[in-house]
Amino acid sequence: MAMISGNSILQVEGLNIYYGNFHAVRDISFHVLPGEIFGLLGPNGAGKTSTLSAVEGLLKPHSGSITIAGYDTHEKLLYAKAAIGVQLQATSFQPELTVNEILQLYAGIYGVSLDKKNLAEILKSIKLEETAGKKFRQLSGGQQQRVSLAIATLHDPKLVLLDEPTSGLDPQSRRQLWERMEAMREKDHSVLLTTHSMEEAEAVCDRIAIIDHGRLIAIDKPELIIENNKTNPEVIRASRRGKITLEDVFIGLTGKAIRS
Amino acid sequence: MQTIIPKTLAVFSSLLRADFITQWRNRRSFILLLLVPVIILISWKGIVDKFGGPFALSSCITIGLVAIGLMGYSNSIARDRDKGVFQRLRVAPMPSWCIMGSRLMVQLVMILLLTIIIFIAGKNIDHITLTPSGYAISILTSLVGGAVYLGLGQLIVGLIQNPETVNSTSRLTYFVFIMVGMFGELGVLGDQLKEIVMWSPYGTVKRIIAAGMQPGT
Repeated sequence: MAMISGNSILQVEGLNIYYGNFHAVRDISFHVLPGEIFGLLGPNGAGKTSTLSAVEGLLKPHSGSITIAGYDTHEKLLYAKAAIGVQLQATSFQPELTVNEILQLYAGIYGVSLDKKNLAEILKSIKLEETAGKKFRQLSGGQQQRVSLAIATLHDPKLVLLDEPTSGLDPQSRRQLWERMEAMREKDHSVLLTTHSMEEAEAVCDRIAIIDHGRLIAIDKPELIIENNKTNPEVIRASRRGKITLEDVFIGLTGKAIRS
Repeated sequence: MQTIIPKTLAVFSSLLRADFITQWRNRRSFILLLLVPVIILISWKGIVDKFGGPFALSSCITIGLVAIGLMGYSNSIARDRDKGVFQRLRVAPMPSWCIMGSRLMVQLVMILLLTIIIFIAGKNIDHITLTPSGYAISILTSLVGGAVYLGLGQLIVGLIQNPETVNSTSRLTYFVFIMVGMFGELGVLGDQLKEIVMWSPYGTVKRIIAAGMQPGT
């Protein structure tokens, strides 16, 4: 289904993930190009986080291959991990550590030399200069997200994985995050993000893939996905305001039933 | 651009630094863990006269080891696992042993600190002194004994997912170990239980530490 691309930063081929007898991800293939923001969309339990976890090396797939920046995760897992920056859905850092200490910890882990000047620049870029000495647990949700994103990009990775990065953020913080993603794209870094927000997918993603019941059911540019599905009766039925939106296509393709 | 893997030693030292800072910020709970064996040592003057210094010191060190392994270690692991701290570390480019290795290293330093504090308290309060080799060997046996309780703490955390349940289970286990261990060993709970305690993790660790204190005997 996915185009094979020689210069892709991430190549996922025939990925299958099982949890016991449950087939969570079924033969998924896609690729992400350099400087591309790629969105992974799907209802709850569709297999987005499982796919992302396999890319991050947290889950061992039953079959299939994942190549990050030319490194096969089966053979060169540490190199593949070094090439990615990650913001997990339910990530926290040690609550007793300050923002400064967390940045220093991850700088050490990723082999980044961080002097006072670099540290100040990073803190300035995430607008946390005033809270550098605050413990992580004392930060607001938005501030914690910013720290998490700063750490995900600390080592200048080729690919940044963001798992529902804007969930729970106010509109200002969300816009700021979108701008950060676009800035990454300008530097030719790729972003793979999962999201429930169709608005976000349309606003920032160059291409999106829709996953349902572990299967890839659509992959293309957001406007082309809308264009290719606008005559689908299910999509028309899902349409609420006459004009077909990405959300209508999503509901039309994945159904109206609420997933657990 | 070539992808660079950071050196394991540099990664490990960054983790160690962060884990020691975390431990230092949680020093109040460590002081509380230390308080119980020190109080027991102070209030056990009669026992020292009756059973000897090594008996009292080894009992207090064992009680401290139980507290560190079952309560300090297991609760911190359960909490960080629940918050996703380990998951975030696991996606970083480092061997996975570094994450737990650093945590265990901090606990071993805590055990070392506990043993030294008990020795100082024993010397100043109950005038218990050991030979230099007695001190050296019992520090070593304390570390080995501590590993037993860290293993038990890891077992609890491995079997139970919920951090609240880990907390209550480890407290209950600690209480049972201490009460049954201490009183059982003194024969207060009957001869059969005394025998059981002798071969239990409490009794075994305590006897190894006590034996280390008297290498000549």
